[in-house]
Amino acid sequence: MTKASSDSRALRKFLRHKPAVVASLVIAVYAVIAILLLCTNMITLDDTLQRVGPETIPGFGTLQKPEKRHEDAEWLIDRIDTLSGRSDPQAAFDSFQDLGVRRIAKLPLEELQARVESAWQTYDQLAELEDLTAAANGALNVPGGATVLADLEKLEGSVEGLLEPMTAKEKSTRWLELLFGTDRQGRSIFYRSIYSIRVAVLVGLITGLLSVTIGTIAGLLSGYFGGWVDHLITWLYSTFASIPNIVLLILLAFMFDGGHIDEPLNRWTNGLLRRLIGGRLDETLIPVYIAFTATFWIGPCRVIRGETMKIRELEYVQAATVMGFGRTRILLRHILPNITYLMLINFSLLFIGAIKSEVILSFLGLGVKKGPSWGIMISQSKIEVVNGFFWQIGTATALMFFLVLAFNVLSDALQDVLDPKHV
Amino acid sequence: MWTYILRRLAYNVPVYLSILLLVMLALRVRDPVFGRLPKNATNEDITLKRHELGIDRPFIVQFAVQLKQVATFTFDEESWDYTGQSVGEVLKRCIGPSLAITVPSLILTSLFSITVALISAWFRGRTLDQALVFVAVLGMSVSFLVYIILGQYFCAYRLNQWLGYDVFAIYYDPEVSNAGWVEFMTSVWPKYYLLPVMISVIVAMGYDTRFYRAVMVEESARDYIVTATAKGASRSRIMFIHMLKNAMIQIITRIVITIPFLITGSFLLESYFGIPGMGNQLIVAVESGDFPIVQSFTAVFAAVYIASNLLTDVLYALVDPRVRLS
Repeated sequence: MTKASSDSRALRKFLRHKPAVVASLVIAVYAVIAILLLCTNMITLDDTLQRVGPETIPGFGTLQKPEKRHEDAEWLIDRIDTLSGRSDPQAAFDSFQDLGVRRIAKLPLEELQARVESAWQTYDQLAELEDLTAAANGALNVPGGATVLADLEKLEGSVEGLLEPMTAKEKSTRWLELLFGTDRQGRSIFYRSIYSIRVAVLVGLITGLLSVTIGTIAGLLSGYFGGWVDHLITWLYSTFASIPNIVLLILLAFMFDGGHIDEPLNRWTNGLLRRLIGGRLDETLIPVYIAFTATFWIGPCRVIRGETMKIRELEYVQAATVMGFGRTRILLRHILPNITYLMLINFSLLFIGAIKSEVILSFLGLGVKKGPSWGIMISQSKIEVVNGFFWQIGTATALMFFLVLAFNVLSDALQDVLDPKHV
Repeated sequence: MWTYILRRLAYNVPVYLSILLLVMLALRVRDPVFGRLPKNATNEDITLKRHELGIDRPFIVQFAVQLKQVATFTFDEESWDYTGQSVGEVLKRCIGPSLAITVPSLILTSLFSITVALISAWFRGRTLDQALVFVAVLGMSVSFLVYIILGQYFCAYRLNQWLGYDVFAIYYDPEVSNAGWVEFMTSVWPKYYLLPVMISVIVAMGYDTRFYRAVMVEESARDYIVTATAKGASRSRIMFIHMLKNAMIQIITRIVITIPFLITGSFLLESYFGIPGMGNQLIVAVESGDFPIVQSFTAVFAAVYIASNLLTDVLYALVDPRVRLS
């Protein structure tokens, strides 16, 4: 009964902490999205790899420089022109997917070709102007300069005429596809950044749980039993702590890369590994989990070892020993409940660590191989930033920022509520 | 105390040996020969190359050779990537650029964050304190890479465009490696190293400020503060004389514990700015399978790491008479 009342006291204190409640809600939203991504086909891996339009379109339908609009129109007219020159144009049109949900207009070939021709004419007219952007701003007093904007709209209108009109559902999908714009390969930033939530939550959750579990078990055993168990575990974590984190990460990347570990494992176990994960290790997230867990378990292990050593000497534990309770019972019933708060706080901190380090792993080439992650998006956006395009880096950073911020606030609140002695 | 130091050192011998062993074993998962030979190499070529690199010897012999190098502190094994250069030379060449980033940023970060933490502790619980803590948390929630990419774009690329000359270089120029000492301090360092240092200070500020603030807040609840207040000591005297002095123990610990990381350098900064430091070199060495460099580098790092851990404990005992080494 006392336990229940102390729990609810902590809970009440937690609920009074408004930022922490907001943070939990934010985390819940991310978790729901991650579960939806894992269980349904809301956004598939193919969606994140598929071109949905011209490259580096800004988000929220922001108008671009006339030059870019001109180029984007050219890209599409050129694509359709090339397709209509194929031996079987209809089949080529049907397999056209470079505009996301949008399809090429279902018109007779001649009609479509005539429309392409007229679009080219408007395009050529505009191409004659030397500086399109300046002309559109009315700076150059060139013939036709006044009608540049109207001409651009006409060009975009004729491009629109090459495509099948959208249904209401397609319209909303299209809106989502272009919500945050496209990256340098014309892929939807919205799809990529949302899909990355799955990776972030998976990596954070699994490495957090694994490291805390391993760290807790090692710390409990080492703190409670002392003696050679303690020596062994201290030796183990001193060894791992004395290798620089990054060396450990690069070494693991080096080992896993290219399936060098898979070969012997598959040979010894008769292909068990291949059957279990359906491919090579470095195509899954398993190397990431291993790399993080190898470095992350040390933190909780140290803290919990220290705390266990302290608790072991407390009167109630000694009373339990005197009363003849077994070691397992004392460990599980008397010591473990008193270190759960450390497990929670450490989990929250490791979650942040994992999400943030994923960026570094992706940089080292150990991270996610198939599909996007925030780390990959940020490191890819370097070239776009040089050209003044911030949508990809901005979206990935913002999504990561809110999740990490929420976890930061939550960890602080957990510290306050569960460990009042600590400031 | 000396018996304590000796015992700790003896205790760390198995740790150290297992680090060397672990790194050497991990490297040998992949055969380094194939990256160094043309695709159509014959078996004879492979055997020759193995012999040349010395990996045809039994593992125990290779381990003993490495151990001898560490014990005598002469890293004279030849690097596999840089023919004619010993590992020691490569390490010596790379350590300077790394220290040129890490040492200034450690000093600046510590100074700034201790100052901010003092301000925060002075106004504890008030708006300024809450605002500072919040900014620190905000700063911690953004990826390191974002700071680097945006820093490079705005502080190097755009600023240079705007001013018309290169204030900060976006990428390192290998030519300046030969600059003399004076030239290095006056023109090379500000141009090539100052921006990475600023970025690393900004990134580290959030973590350090929060840590130091927590230390000060913890100290401010101690009995000796109550005594000092009762004696009528002024608030600034309590903060700067009584509290800061006691907080120093934890501040020093935190600074000493980061010393080993000074030599590894910041590999992200180094590779984005093209600075030829240890971190950068290490990634290149692991990727190309340059075993001697990786092994010796890890050996040096681990030695410094163990030494500074020991140093922390000894310093603790020297600074705080309550701590007994046993």
